[in-house]
Amino acid sequence: MSEAAVEATRDAALVLELQGVSHSYHARRANFERGLHRVLDDVSLRIHRGETLGILGRNGAGKTTLLRLLAGVLAPRAGTVWRRPGASCSLLTLGLGFQPHLSGRDNALLSAMLQGATRRQAQACLEEIREFSELGPSFEEPVATYSAGMRSRLGFSTAIMTRVDILLIDEILSVGDAAFRKKARSLMEDRLTGEQTVVLVSHQEDQVASLCDTAAWIDAGRIRAHGAVDDVLAAYGAA
Amino acid sequence: MTLRHYFTLVDTMARMSLKADAARFFFGYLWWILEPLLYVAVFYVVFEVILGSKRADFLVFLMCGKLTFIWLSKSVNQASRSIVASKGLVGKIDVPKSLFPMATIQEGLYKQASVFLLLFIVLWSKGYAVSASWAWLLPVVLVNYLVIVGLSLFGAFLVCVAFDFSMLISLGMIFLLFTSGIFWDVRDLPDPAMTEAVLAANPVAFLIDAYRQVLMEGVAPDPVHLAVIGAAAAALVAAGVLLLRRASRFLALKAITA
Repeated sequence: MSEAAVEATRDAALVLELQGVSHSYHARRANFERGLHRVLDDVSLRIHRGETLGILGRNGAGKTTLLRLLAGVLAPRAGTVWRRPGASCSLLTLGLGFQPHLSGRDNALLSAMLQGATRRQAQACLEEIREFSELGPSFEEPVATYSAGMRSRLGFSTAIMTRVDILLIDEILSVGDAAFRKKARSLMEDRLTGEQTVVLVSHQEDQVASLCDTAAWIDAGRIRAHGAVDDVLAAYGAA
Repeated sequence: MTLRHYFTLVDTMARMSLKADAARFFFGYLWWILEPLLYVAVFYVVFEVILGSKRADFLVFLMCGKLTFIWLSKSVNQASRSIVASKGLVGKIDVPKSLFPMATIQEGLYKQASVFLLLFIVLWSKGYAVSASWAWLLPVVLVNYLVIVGLSLFGAFLVCVAFDFSMLISLGMIFLLFTSGIFWDVRDLPDPAMTEAVLAANPVAFLIDAYRQVLMEGVAPDPVHLAVIGAAAAALVAAGVLLLRRASRFLALKAITA
């Protein structure tokens, strides 16, 4: 079948698709942490427009690698990752994700532009981002001076306000103060009914239960359960 | 990503970095001029004051060489590390990896514009007249820029693959500093065959000599030699862009796990 024919058979609402994806890291032995092999083994997933998928799994199960593959940052060693052409995508992680010497404002502008916004479009969002992130004067300070909670607020606000099509969230809703978490959650609940597709990695089962339509449980690189949130949570809780 | 969006990003990243850099130092933007001048001062003390140069015009001679060489060495050193230095962003979003070295080079280009201005002021104050041959500066600067971009793209690739290469690259720049006729004149060598050999083997030595020929002697550089270096550098740039594009996700993996 030609590429165009494959394209045509795809469900119009399909946004992301993984087919038989396997991935492994080979890391240097000198450092134990990096010596960890985070492996995905023959993972297939289909994610549709407007869907909110929760990913559950223990540390080292391959959740972060899965998000990086979905974001197109990494290429799988085997299998294919397909993302709807033209869909903008943002991966929010607790790690750096920013240029530490630049201010929050410049990082927000840069993130928006890297996701495809023009300079003018990106600048138009900046005030909204500043306001929503509640960073106050720190918005003009280098991100290197930020706490983990502040970084996650900046990242989340930027992604939400620039209205990316696909939002990949790695644990960032677990940090920050309770008031911001609540605000982020209610905003997500509003937005998530619309066009935005979200993949949410979380350790908190209640967060997945309240925000997601579907869930997947990853264990040792394989998908153990995938489907309605309640079923997956029940299986995850029983293990 | 369209070409226009790409270059807007390169420019935006460069300006942001310049601004952040200036905010970090008490003397801010003054360092653009101060740092190269201090380098010149160090070399002046050693080769004029202590060793005693034969040249009456040693200061101008040194500035023509050193101020243009710093542009290359600093750009290549910093651009080579730029992908690894941006691993936070690299692990988050799939962008052309050449963005990072190109933004670093752009940053250096903005700084170098003010350094060139300073060099012209010094030349003028020392009585060197602007002549028609100064028009040759344009192709010389362009070829110099292409050499910087070509070396930087490959350097960035290598440093991503193994960070150890950053050591070799900075050592390579020191090697070039000594072998490119920055504080000695390639035309003053006792053996004319050696002059020919150095100019033929080392494009940086040729470029530095070309700057001096144009600015101090009012003489055009060898156009064929300049064109050959320009063509080789352009080919290197094209190969580097292709390499970084092909290896984009491999480099992301390398940068994340570095």
